[in-house]
Amino acid sequence: MAVHASVLEDGSTLSRLDRGLYRIERVLALISGLAVFGLMVLAVLSVSGRNFFNQPLPGYVDWIQQAMPLIAFMGIAFAQRDGGHIRMDILVGALRGRVLWAAEFVTTLAMLVLMVLLVWGSFAHFQRSFDFAAPMWSRDSSFDIHLPLWPAKLLAPIAFSVLCVRLVLQLWGYGRALWLGLSEPIAVPLVKSAAEQAAAEAELLSDTDG
Amino acid sequence: MEPIDIGIAVTAVLFVLVVLGMRVAFAAALAGLVGLIWIFWSKKGYDPDEFGWALSVAVKTAGQVPHSKVSSQALSLIPTFIMIGYLAYYAGLTKALFEAAKRWVGWLPGGLAVSTVFATAGFAAVSGASVATAAVFARIAIPEMLKIGYDKRFAAGVVAAGGTLASLIPPSAILVIYAIIVEQDVGKLLLAGFIPGVVSALIYAGLIVGMALAMPGFGPPVGGFTWGQRLRALPPALPIVFVVVIIIFFIYNPLGGDAWGTPTEGGALGAFVVFVMALLRGMRWRQLRDALMETAKLSVMIFTIIWGVLIYVRFLGFADLPGAFSNWITSLEMPPLLILVCILLAYAVLGMFMDAIGMLLLTLPVVYPAVMALNGGEFVSAADSAFGMSGPMCAIWFGILVVKMAEFCLITPPIGLNCFVVAGVRPDLSVQDVFRGVTPFFIADAVTIATLVMVPGIVLWLPSLA
Amino acid sequence: EEWNVSLWGKRRAFTEHVEKLAELVSDKTNGEFTLNISYGGLSKNTENLDGISIGAFEMAQFCAGYHRDKNPSITVLELPFLGVDSLEQEREISMAVYDHPAVQADLARWNATLVMPSPLPQYNVVGVGVAPESLADFEGFAVRATGGIGVAMAAIGAVPTSMSATEVRQALDSGVVKGVSFAPHAHMSFGTIETGEWWTTNLNPGTVNCPVVVNTDALNGLSDAHREALLGSVDEALDYYIDYYNSNTMERWGPALDERGIERVTFPESELAAFKEAAAGPAAQAWIEENSARGLPAQELYDLVTGMIGQ
Ligand code: NA
Ligand code: NA
Repeated sequence: MAVHASVLEDGSTLSRLDRGLYRIERVLALISGLAVFGLMVLAVLSVSGRNFFNQPLPGYVDWIQQAMPLIAFMGIAFAQRDGGHIRMDILVGALRGRVLWAAEFVTTLAMLVLMVLLVWGSFAHFQRSFDFAAPMWSRDSSFDIHLPLWPAKLLAPIAFSVLCVRLVLQLWGYGRALWLGLSEPIAVPLVKSAAEQAAAEAELLSDTDG
Repeated sequence: MEPIDIGIAVTAVLFVLVVLGMRVAFAAALAGLVGLIWIFWSKKGYDPDEFGWALSVAVKTAGQVPHSKVSSQALSLIPTFIMIGYLAYYAGLTKALFEAAKRWVGWLPGGLAVSTVFATAGFAAVSGASVATAAVFARIAIPEMLKIGYDKRFAAGVVAAGGTLASLIPPSAILVIYAIIVEQDVGKLLLAGFIPGVVSALIYAGLIVGMALAMPGFGPPVGGFTWGQRLRALPPALPIVFVVVIIIFFIYNPLGGDAWGTPTEGGALGAFVVFVMALLRGMRWRQLRDALMETAKLSVMIFTIIWGVLIYVRFLGFADLPGAFSNWITSLEMPPLLILVCILLAYAVLGMFMDAIGMLLLTLPVVYPAVMALNGGEFVSAADSAFGMSGPMCAIWFGILVVKMAEFCLITPPIGLNCFVVAGVRPDLSVQDVFRGVTPFFIADAVTIATLVMVPGIVLWLPSLA
Repeated sequence: EEWNVSLWGKRRAFTEHVEKLAELVSDKTNGEFTLNISYGGLSKNTENLDGISIGAFEMAQFCAGYHRDKNPSITVLELPFLGVDSLEQEREISMAVYDHPAVQADLARWNATLVMPSPLPQYNVVGVGVAPESLADFEGFAVRATGGIGVAMAAIGAVPTSMSATEVRQALDSGVVKGVSFAPHAHMSFGTIETGEWWTTNLNPGTVNCPVVVNTDALNGLSDAHREALLGSVDEALDYYIDYYNSNTMERWGPALDERGIERVTFPESELAAFKEAAAGPAAQAWIEENSARGLPAQELYDLVTGMIGQ
């Protein structure tokens, strides 16, 4: 039932970069999904450990807290590539052509500025928990079983950096559309036309019997 | 400029960014970051030499929020509850529920829409997230309704509204978030949502029947099912009951013994059962991968909103806007029930512009203590209280009211997450179409909320047993 | 001059010294220097040291056990069975440790200066089910206990189990844990006594240490008069805190137990001595080894603490 956003592709450098990055983004998102699955397995182990072996899973909460950043961050660029993050499109939906691409360019640029700053801020957060001289390089650890927190904290700047790369590609795409006055630019999420949707829908229904 | 003025100015900037179509999570984070820079710089009297310092402190303060806020055990319920929803789709539960509902109540006026409401209510018992429920049913119910001639906007509206039931009927991610913010018993809150969820579904169904009777060409009933066909439709939907029992027993043991564990564990075990069912029904790696990808995508959307809004909330903390609001509310000289109604109305207005989770995170730290104080304090007895209920019961009652309001916000324009999701799944529908289709349900929700305010027993009966 | 102060939760016995300090400072400076206290608005409690280090706010409270790697030196005060028996003694020993150069250097990594402790009484267990008659009954007993207290409970065969504070009550209701180790004010505010059936009066395995710190640059940046108004008010604020905790919380504690018919479980001295021997020595030894390896004068800090108790 995966719905693929309509991002047009061709043989250009931009499109090849877009697809290359998309492969990475999909892997990161899958890691995030597997982490959710892992949470489920962890709970099953915890419950059965307590009830059948009278031995609770040590550090259950600590492990959950380590897994959460995987779930919360790793798919962030994947969602952006497909236009998945929530927005209000009442105004944007009414725009066409160069005005539309200009609006998209501006808001995407604002996002890029924000995310570059947050890469800085979240990396600083990581750095405060990291110390080459300390045991396990740790200057901040979890409550119960004292897991070092720096690997989990490092996930934020990593995922945010991938998002920055994605935003640069989208800026390139929107900028190109704005410059050339394109109607269907590549490498940016587009609103589908009715015919494309019908085709996608038909594919979807034959795809699964959910 | 005083911090409070900065708070108001930055809030205005946030609205402009959102209207311009910037992704909400990032608009909130950007507004929060700009606000933090402003506040820190103002502390140095806007000295140009100190701008670098203010920028650095603001960026580092904001940079803590994403990791800090998502690393929470309680929030781990959210992806788990979402995953149940997607796995249930592959376990065939969505189709089975919809089919059973169709055969049993399809003969009613507006039958297919009523069936959709009951099927979403049933699905709510395994799904913890409104948006996941709306997304799944948009794929199943909308095509069927379109086939027999429903208006596509109304069909989308039914699904968007039906999806909100998932947040009252346990398991519910947003009730968990409420419990975390106000530090109340997660289990009792989850139990308390059950009956109001059912009442809500009945009121939706009543509305649809009324509309079908009043409007010619609304969408024909689907009748002609024999009792044999009806009974045969039940067994495929029965596993839902199994999952419900697990989740309930992990919250509260109706047989009188100890509950079996915590809600976190109950949710995960429910997911595991559904996962096994999906495997038995022939789910392969490709479908599991799709379900995990969808879970990841919806989770990251929600978590991005959570940390984005919380960067903004962190800024509000420095601007002390919540404190100013609190002082104002408690200085009002009005009957407590009237103040409560005003608060709920304020939520309705705020919810037009905000996402549900963001709204609760933003307001509860301020509003919850005020409401508890209105009732007579945290430890007040039912006899001495303003609303006729003890402190802990008031916390539960207000929680259900606020979550119902927050769910209402999921279907109100301009920012209504459920409507965005339905429009996202069905690209032939614009967000505006879905908003138009869902409008009648505003009336149903208003009736539900009024009922819950007047008859608190609907909320409080179940938790009072636990 | 206005300082932001990052606390968490809501105003309670545990925060009264900061509230008092704010009042005193404002009075002494005729309102020229104010402490603007925020409960959770500025930071998460486990990240108050980060906020101090960044310079986002000037004063904050945190507990050493939240993140021992951030502040290894002061976790000496959370070792099990140190034998501290009053809030006054807890205050005195904490202040002595906070004055130690190695401790000051440890906190200086966060640009933080220790100002005062938040003395808490000994933790004890509220539990459900059959009350333990001897320490042997703790074998296989699932208990919510953290830090040094968890280590101690494990030494008598209990199983320390963690969960967030909001899930403690639920965990006790549902049998995930059979007991919860808290100070009395926390037993009351997290509702464990609503479900609990018994309370240990004298297990006293230890407590947690929660200092109040200030940003060092901000402290140095104060005028002499303002710095004197701040630091000169610490003693009075702590006097007020201890009096408040003793007369308010501890006075309510006994009646709260009686109202709910909670049984008081008292263990004989001989058993406690054995418990202490099993838990205290090894935990202290492990702490000293680990923190010597970090380059801290661990033995010296440990001796400082135990020496003061011995007096
Ligand atoms: Na639900
Ligand atoms: Na809304």
